[in-house]
Amino acid sequence: MHIRPFRDLINDRIALSGLSMLALISFMAIFAPVLSDYSPYDYTGQIFSPPSAHHPLGTDSMGQDIWSRLLYGARTSLFVAFAVAILSSALSLFIGATSALLGGIYERFWMRVVDAMISIPTIIVMILVAAYLRPSILLLIILMSLFSWPGGARIVRSQVLSLKERMHVSAARTFGADWKHILINHITPDLAPIIIAMMIQDARRAVFMEAGLAFLGVSDPMMISWGKMMQQALAFTYLNVWEWWLVPTGLALSLTLVGLSFIGFGLEAAMDPRLQKYKQRRVD
Amino acid sequence: MKREQFGRGSILNYIIALAAIFALNFILPRLMPGDPLHAIYGDEALVAMTPEMERSLIREFALDRSWIDQLQAYLMGLSHFDLGYSYYYKDQVSSVIMGALPWTLLLTGLALVIATALGIILGIESGYRRGELLDRCIVASLMFLSGFPDFFIGILLLLLFGVALGIAPLSGAITPYAGLEGFGYLEDVIGHLALPLSSLVLVQLGGIYLLTRNTIVSLMGESFILTAKAKGCSEFSIKYSHAGRNSLLPVTTATGLRIPHLLTGALFIEIIFSYPGVGSVLNTALNARDYPLIQGILLLITVAVLTANLIVDLLYSRLDPRVRYAH
Repeated sequence: MHIRPFRDLINDRIALSGLSMLALISFMAIFAPVLSDYSPYDYTGQIFSPPSAHHPLGTDSMGQDIWSRLLYGARTSLFVAFAVAILSSALSLFIGATSALLGGIYERFWMRVVDAMISIPTIIVMILVAAYLRPSILLLIILMSLFSWPGGARIVRSQVLSLKERMHVSAARTFGADWKHILINHITPDLAPIIIAMMIQDARRAVFMEAGLAFLGVSDPMMISWGKMMQQALAFTYLNVWEWWLVPTGLALSLTLVGLSFIGFGLEAAMDPRLQKYKQRRVD
Repeated sequence: MKREQFGRGSILNYIIALAAIFALNFILPRLMPGDPLHAIYGDEALVAMTPEMERSLIREFALDRSWIDQLQAYLMGLSHFDLGYSYYYKDQVSSVIMGALPWTLLLTGLALVIATALGIILGIESGYRRGELLDRCIVASLMFLSGFPDFFIGILLLLLFGVALGIAPLSGAITPYAGLEGFGYLEDVIGHLALPLSSLVLVQLGGIYLLTRNTIVSLMGESFILTAKAKGCSEFSIKYSHAGRNSLLPVTTATGLRIPHLLTGALFIEIIFSYPGVGSVLNTALNARDYPLIQGILLLITVAVLTANLIVDLLYSRLDPRVRYAH
């Protein structure tokens, strides 16, 4: 049976709602300068002002416009998500695929590394490293990618192991193709759905981790981050500012995370033949 | 996902992982620019330090000698459970952690039991009624909930019940200076535990539920379920003894793999509710840059996670006889 995950994804209600949540956040991130009149760093002259025509979500304890910080926070979250997804899945793809194709000591070495790294709780190690380094956004992306590739590498490896026994790969090999050609032209296209699913997961974890580290106060204090905003707002729950400071920020973060999970759920359902079977049976 | 190595292989993996964590804890402070004593203890601690204390610390960490001697000193300390001295709490790191640990264990232990039991029951019931309105409602709401970050669920509960309605205490684990005893004390502890515990259960519930439900859904098509129906087993027996029992295996594995998430979730939730467990201590340590305490707590959590995963690995081969025969 041939599976077409991307076509199924469009027909899936859960995935579609996930895509629209993410589209909304992306819209906020891309058009941040148009949607707000204030710079997220500027002091507007008054602190804790309630929502008004000038400040849709009021101002925070530093007198900064919350709405514009929310918009620019979307940029940070999505940039981190995108960068970690690309970097981490590239590492997974490279190490997983080369292990499967080259085999031998090379494969055993990397699989040992993967097994050991998978058992280490990533977020705990990230907190430790961040507590010392107070990472900037770029360093944060690199660190998160270095810790999140192993799971994907294992999946890619097992997929490649099965893919490389397929007919068209054997045919290419008979024609004298080397492993680089096979990897790029024959194996990667078949891996695409799995890699996309991996990237969605990496992105979700990255958004959560960036916000979590900022919430704990161990990332670069100059970075505009939803996690940081929530940490600051949590100190003022005795005032009613949480209504337009803490809750909208948390909702924006949750919307991003729920959107990514829903796309992930949809992809998983679209790729799993067993769930497909049930879908078809229901249609019959 | 197929698990490939069991027994000796997996123990070796955990030893490698543990060694990597020790190495990271050893190397990180020494990689920092400047005087390693500053990096190990943090700048704030050194202000209060006398030259004699500084000399004795340098001797203790073997900082004036080669890195092999330093590593030896570090490992010797670890083997005596000597995690260093917390200048913020003015106490040994190990005793600061031990003081906070019972609250964390109470919170996470109860959350794990309640979330697993509730998740399995909901999963079985809703998987059995696949496609009905009830099933679709639970799936939709728990899928939505499981996407939320743990700390925002905690914040929402705090704002709703603590701040807006004012029916739950805002922080802590007991009412200070209340001098309650017996039943009153128990009631006080439960009252303070209710919100953090519910947040943690809500965070954990989604994953367990969805996994149980998916397993049940795929089991319902199996022929042994048909046989059970044909021979007239009661609905309860089909749900729990036939389908439910067979769903325990993936759920057990997933519960073990969930422990890191449970512990990090507890860290965040303790911080939100100022619950006096390890998470709150970590937050204090991070704010005060009390590095020995940060290292000690994170090391403890890592070791706990690694141990839990190892136990699950070993249990898994006990629970599934096929794995034992295969090797």
